[in-house]
Amino acid sequence: MAACAVLAAGTACGTTHENSGASTGQPVAARTCHGPTGHYTIGMSQANVAEPYRQRMNDDIRKAAAAVPQFTVNFADAAQDNAKQVDQVTTFVTQQIDLLIISPNEATPLTAVVKQAYDKGIPVLVLDRKVDGDAYTEFIGADNVDIGRQAGQYFANVLLPQGGKIAELRGLAGSTPAKERSDGFDQGIAGHNIQIVAAQDGDWLQDKGEQQADAILKANPDIQAIYSQNDPMAEGARIAAANAGRPDLPITGIDGLPIEAGGIKAVQAGRISATFVYPTGGKEAIDAAEKLLLDCQTVPKTQTLSTQLVTKDNAAQVYDALNRG
Amino acid sequence: MSGQASGPAPTATLGAPVTRRRREFLPTVFKFQSLFGLVLVFAAAVVYSPTKNGQVLFLDSGNLFNVVRSISEIGILAVGMTLVILIGGIDLSVGSVLGLASVGSASLLVDNGFGVVPVVLIVLAIGLGFGVVQGVAIATFGIQAFIVTLAGMQIARGLARIFSGGQAIAITYGDGPGQAPVVFSLLGERTFGGLVPIPALIFIAVAAVAVVLLRVTSFSRHVYAIGGNEKAARLSGVPVMRVKIVVFGICGLLAALAGIVHAGQLNFGGPNDGTGYELDAIAAVVIGGTSLSGGRGSVAGTVAGALLVGVLRNILALRNIDSNIQLLIIGLVIVLAAGLQQFRPASVS
Repeated sequence: MAACAVLAAGTACGTTHENSGASTGQPVAARTCHGPTGHYTIGMSQANVAEPYRQRMNDDIRKAAAAVPQFTVNFADAAQDNAKQVDQVTTFVTQQIDLLIISPNEATPLTAVVKQAYDKGIPVLVLDRKVDGDAYTEFIGADNVDIGRQAGQYFANVLLPQGGKIAELRGLAGSTPAKERSDGFDQGIAGHNIQIVAAQDGDWLQDKGEQQADAILKANPDIQAIYSQNDPMAEGARIAAANAGRPDLPITGIDGLPIEAGGIKAVQAGRISATFVYPTGGKEAIDAAEKLLLDCQTVPKTQTLSTQLVTKDNAAQVYDALNRG
Repeated sequence: MSGQASGPAPTATLGAPVTRRRREFLPTVFKFQSLFGLVLVFAAAVVYSPTKNGQVLFLDSGNLFNVVRSISEIGILAVGMTLVILIGGIDLSVGSVLGLASVGSASLLVDNGFGVVPVVLIVLAIGLGFGVVQGVAIATFGIQAFIVTLAGMQIARGLARIFSGGQAIAITYGDGPGQAPVVFSLLGERTFGGLVPIPALIFIAVAAVAVVLLRVTSFSRHVYAIGGNEKAARLSGVPVMRVKIVVFGICGLLAALAGIVHAGQLNFGGPNDGTGYELDAIAAVVIGGTSLSGGRGSVAGTVAGALLVGVLRNILALRNIDSNIQLLIIGLVIVLAAGLQQFRPASVS
């Protein structure tokens, strides 16, 4: 009934550009490029704005795009739902956007719809988390294995040059970054006589990190430092350490969001010993969009963003630099 | 009691000469409020749609089918939910059962190498069984449906996580080990010249069967009778327990079906899939004009309600309305729909 009405309207209105526009496997960069005199609509599909890191990514994109008068950016939030994100990308395609930026909630479920957009000649910039295959224009993201490795080296060279026992607070079990930050860290400390005596999942959350650190400190009062895979869990671990009478226990985090509630401020305040910036790629995405749309140039398939060690010495400086954009 | 008495045979209320002193327009509007709402929202969407090169983007056939596809999973859940709500119940477990079915399908296909037919049958049986167990708990122990299905929601989510080891399972297709049969990927395809999404067809088929079930069978009379007044229904010989168990069984079965569709559409089964979907399904039912106190409402209304939400979401997205504002608007529509029900004449089923 109601469905039929829609179906009938659908077939009646006829003009389907779905079939006419799709040419698979063509080089795509030039297709939507009309040079600096054109006006461009960019669709930004975000996995979940409720996470501060992803909110910051949107803010970085908004800020960078504000400096490019030819660009209008439309934002969509999938609220951690793969199906919703698929719908949003199809809606962007209906809107005939000139470029898609997507930070996928998960790789596989978004792969097909990203490929559809890409095959229609829409350049696709993938941020933070990849999709499967190679039907996208550029992937921009940091290397979590490398960040983990650098964290490990910081333990090996700075915190515990003589070696020692430490604990690890891991992210959500089964998530790719949690595995990569673990693997990298193991590589970083290899051969330095550093022993991970306890490793627990803190699910990226501060309160969970605090609970786990509590238990770890009770069971292993002799640990000399904690490696946390993100800043909020590190903040939780700090509370647990203070409660356990170890207020000076070295604790490191990852992410280094340059916001008031972020890791850089926590390092500056001395709650976290050090953190590693996990860049959002928002600004780099708009730079790439300028190259593709305004300059009609091509971009590399992968742009790996480098991390940065933040300690008390450079925290204020890094914070300002990242907010200057 | 005139409400539920006329429920199964609405034509008697509306068109037949035996009725009625009241002017027929108003009851018709109330009975099909979501259909009228859908027409209104659809018309508004056409007017407010952005255009590009003279083309109304909302009316683009690809877009309209995207709308139907986007609501097909919620729609399938909402059909089952309508039956449950008609008997005065509620089922909070459907989102979690969808997740269990989704990750279960992926796991059976990829990790265990089952064929598509056994997987579909096994997963549907799991959903049916889950619903039946909930129905038995509700009907025989007299525990409130809200509590039983709240527990069911946790249990199904827990099972999904245990079953998958907490890991999402990506589905790749082919003949080799660890690959799913290609035919399963049909769920992500479109037919009739690449236009009509398969999930939309499944949704329409499910809705059609439910409409027929609620029009021509004695089951229908029982459902409306229980929702109208359970005690009276029991006294007049309605097998209340059996009907309740069957209704919750159907709801669980449809949740599992939606989960299979979910996995097929996304080539992916995740233990956290379907989180919050139960609320979207309930919203579609309420907007569709079915009363949460049971006994009044229809599957056709629910279908229109689901489509209404889909069209609304689509036009708001096409107009680039901020996602937080979208939540407000959808919330207001739910309140409006429920509010309209308060003015509904008692004679309208």
